Amino acid sequence: MTDEKPSEAEKPEDKKAEAAKPEAAKPEVAKADGAKPADAAKPADAAKPAAPAAAAAPKPAAKAPEPVIPATAGKFEQFLKEHGIPAQRLPLSLEVETIVLSGDVLQAALRLLRNSSEVKLDLLLTISGVDSNDTYDSVYHLWSYSNLDELVIKVLIKKSDVAEGDLPAVPSIANFWSAANWHERETYDLMGIRYANHPYLRRILNPWDWEGYPLRRDYKQLVDCLNDKNPHSMR
Amino acid sequence: MFSNGDEIFKISRLTIVWLAGIFTIVWMVCWALGIALPMLLTQQLGDKAALTNEILRAATPVIAILVFIPINAMFMVLIERRALALWTVRKGPNRVGPDGNFQTAADAVKLLLKEDITPTGADAVMHTFAPILFFAPSVFGAVPLLAAVTNNHPLFRVLNLPTGIFFVLAAGALPVVALVMAGWASNNKYSLVGGLRSAAQAISYEIPLVLSLITVCLMAGTLDLVKITEQQAGGILNWNLLGGGALTGLNNALAGGGAKALATSYFMGPISYVCAGLLVISLIISFWLYLTGACAEINRIPFDLPEAESELVSGYNTEYSGMKFAIFFLAEFTNLFIVSSITTVMFLGGGDNPIPPYILNNIPGIPQMVAAIRDSYFCSTLHIINPETFFATLWVIAKVYGLVIFAVLIRGTLPRFRIDQLMAFGWKRLIPLSLIVFIIVVFAREFVICHG
Amino acid sequence: MATEIQEIDLKTDEMIINMGPQHPATHGVLRLLLTLDGETVKHVEPVLGHLHRAQEWQGQNRTWFQYQALIDRVDYLSGMFTSWAMARSCEQIDGTVVPPRAEYLRVMVSEMNRITSHLLWLGTYLIDLGAMFGFPFYPFREREKLFDLFEEIAGQRMMFNYIRIGGVLRDPKPEWFDKLKRFLDEFPDRIDEYETIVTQNPIFLKRTKGVGILTQAVAKDYGVTGPCIRSSGIPLDLRRTKPYSVYPELKFDVITFDKEGDTWDRYMARILEMRQSIEIIRQCIDKLPSGDIMGKKQMAGMRIKAGEGFAAVESPRGILGCYVISGGGEKALRFRWRNPSFCNLSVLHELLKGCPLSDIMAIFGSIDVILPDVDR
Repeated sequence: MTDEKPSEAEKPEDKKAEAAKPEAAKPEVAKADGAKPADAAKPADAAKPAAPAAAAAPKPAAKAPEPVIPATAGKFEQFLKEHGIPAQRLPLSLEVETIVLSGDVLQAALRLLRNSSEVKLDLLLTISGVDSNDTYDSVYHLWSYSNLDELVIKVLIKKSDVAEGDLPAVPSIANFWSAANWHERETYDLMGIRYANHPYLRRILNPWDWEGYPLRRDYKQLVDCLNDKNPHSMR
Repeated sequence: MFSNGDEIFKISRLTIVWLAGIFTIVWMVCWALGIALPMLLTQQLGDKAALTNEILRAATPVIAILVFIPINAMFMVLIERRALALWTVRKGPNRVGPDGNFQTAADAVKLLLKEDITPTGADAVMHTFAPILFFAPSVFGAVPLLAAVTNNHPLFRVLNLPTGIFFVLAAGALPVVALVMAGWASNNKYSLVGGLRSAAQAISYEIPLVLSLITVCLMAGTLDLVKITEQQAGGILNWNLLGGGALTGLNNALAGGGAKALATSYFMGPISYVCAGLLVISLIISFWLYLTGACAEINRIPFDLPEAESELVSGYNTEYSGMKFAIFFLAEFTNLFIVSSITTVMFLGGGDNPIPPYILNNIPGIPQMVAAIRDSYFCSTLHIINPETFFATLWVIAKVYGLVIFAVLIRGTLPRFRIDQLMAFGWKRLIPLSLIVFIIVVFAREFVICHG
Repeated sequence: MATEIQEIDLKTDEMIINMGPQHPATHGVLRLLLTLDGETVKHVEPVLGHLHRAQEWQGQNRTWFQYQALIDRVDYLSGMFTSWAMARSCEQIDGTVVPPRAEYLRVMVSEMNRITSHLLWLGTYLIDLGAMFGFPFYPFREREKLFDLFEEIAGQRMMFNYIRIGGVLRDPKPEWFDKLKRFLDEFPDRIDEYETIVTQNPIFLKRTKGVGILTQAVAKDYGVTGPCIRSSGIPLDLRRTKPYSVYPELKFDVITFDKEGDTWDRYMARILEMRQSIEIIRQCIDKLPSGDIMGKKQMAGMRIKAGEGFAAVESPRGILGCYVISGGGEKALRFRWRNPSFCNLSVLHELLKGCPLSDIMAIFGSIDVILPDVDR
């Protein structure tokens, strides 16, 4: 049930994304000229810094392919590697260890991190979806009830890996934490990340028949009754 | 001590103005229809007017009630809102008219002008009929009470029934049907749950309510409301609240009968004294049982489960608007008034003065004042008022509205029961308690000379 | 015989009731799809989003300076905490040093805000339990006094926008502290007054004792935080377990109960927390250092360095987290809120299973959910 719905919802969205592509190309050309500021009508570009200097310094997650690994390897990274799970540490962000996992080891890694006697990361604070420049990230903030440990896990899915008309898929962790249930539903709703094997994956904040995923950069609202430029406008 | 003395003063002023207004109007209507007009007709037409006069006299109490109920409900809503505001550090309605006196009049006009909606899928006939059936019993249920609360005034004597309290209780049981009807006919699940709750609640709480009244009737030996009132005359020690006549011997002794009066009433010596004490305790318990049962019967907090706002939106009257809702609203407050009146008649001596006559008549000035009223032009010639009815009415007003204010105070204090707790409280606590009280009274009254 | 009785057993249907979004007691616009068997709840599905205002989207499309003013609306009863969470996460990324006087002022105003939030909860909870008219307005009286104090320093009574990135907006005048002290002196008596009316009220006890029991396992599973989990015996209070700001220098108790918490424990936890907050504010007034109150220049074109940060504060409802990704520009790349109400609400269907209809509001009220905080 849950697997069918997203793909149905995806189809109209996909056409829309295609329709938006030519528009998306225009501001980039303008930027190459170095004169025009970003087109305000396009939210993705509005979110980006307008000045070229600022655009040259994107956030660290965007440079994922070659992260600068700190001199001392992270505690959790080591722990996971000892148990045979490939984990890759991102540069220190505010002294909180951030590791990148691939989707297929997420379940195993979380089982270890949650249940082992050495680390007890048993408080799932939040699951966030982030639309980076070329990846969709599913970010997990893990804390512990008994100690001060913190860990941020990121699952990065390259946009190029996501097939046309499909959603980026990450295994659901709702079987570990019931708390994850609603967070994953929200991320699916707003960011369009499909959590595989989620018990009840449907929109939570938006209406069930909403089209598109509002927090994505290429999102454009189809019917915007308050926007005069929109052909569907009610004004 | 009273940081909000100003507000208290305003509320008192409002109460006095309204009560004076209500009862002057109602009494003038009664007098004009039942006394002045027949007198005039007899003067003019002689014997030919006899039939007309009879009809007028019979119609007077009914018209009086019909005039009284809406104005009274308006006043009660206003005083409830003001009193609640006083107890909850708010201001309450104080804008429409002086002191907010006309707030409820404005509300009534608003309710009457509102659109009357029958929801889709509702049973229109039953939906319309339910408020009428809810309201009607409070009109004809009030009728037998009139004679009792006016100290058996000749104008209202026609409506007295030998089985008065029985009739009142029967009338009071009818609205439940209306509530279930309203809940069923509204085509709304909240309404349905509210209606069913009200049925369950009424069935459970009618038993302790009736048992406590039966206890009183047992002490009085009659079902006639006027007789019950007359028995209690003569001061607070004669009231049913304090033993239903068990303390009458004491009263007589204090009045001058001495030890002889005591020996007459408590003929078994110490056993009689113990039984008298038991009776006093039992009747006070009966009084509280009645108040509790009545609170549940008229759906007041803490027993307002049929219309629990925080659970069922508004219960059975969720889907009502305009005139129909106004009738529900009117009937609710009228029921509160009637319940208070029954309590006054059955337990608090009706229009009786709590101060016994042997004290009162010794206060200089009081007998002269009564005599002056009796001899006055209004009383002797126009028959507008006689002192017995006048003072009885004053006391009844004080007692009834005192009980109303008490109900408001409870509403302002307590949270709501849960439905299962309500049932458990009714069946496991109140009913056994009322049965025990009943049995105690049955045996104890054999050893004391009581009213009956 | 027994089989015969079973055969003629009455058939009952389940009833589906739509509670909300327009319902007097759903605290705004929550919609609960209830499946009832008689008056017993079989299944609950909360339907959210009626108040969804795209706060996270707005965070990406407004400048830092603009968005500061908006986030008080995320949780309108504890605006100080949302401001603080955002300020802390931005300061982490930016490396801004907050002056100590500002930190003390932050603690002070947010503890005051905790009191107002709990006071409102107390009043509305009694309404949920059916005391529609009497008691609920008493807490509002004290809440108004605190709002008067807020108005003096922030210019607003509820949407303060007082805690800014880098510090606080305005330094209170000395008279303000006198007023606050006067309030703190009389407030414990007021709490006693509430307790006199409520805590030993037999009907209140009947409605709350043993109702809506939240076990530790369930609470951990659903990520419940705040007074709800503390009343279940888990001492998770960020002010103590992961101390931030100047909380390590302040003495206060973390309120926990030793057993599985029911609604009465949650009520009691909040009452006791208010008393603790009074102590915290008193200590803050005594220890308040002099000095600057702002560590970053407030201006419309304010920028935050590139980076990402997650900061959490202990709001009246639980852990309020803010996850910010900054690209170094005028606007954030991503704002993500971890709202305590959202997480606490997800446990509702566990608590409501099998309870009577009347207890829905007793339980739902006791977990203290603010719908704008849930829906954002």
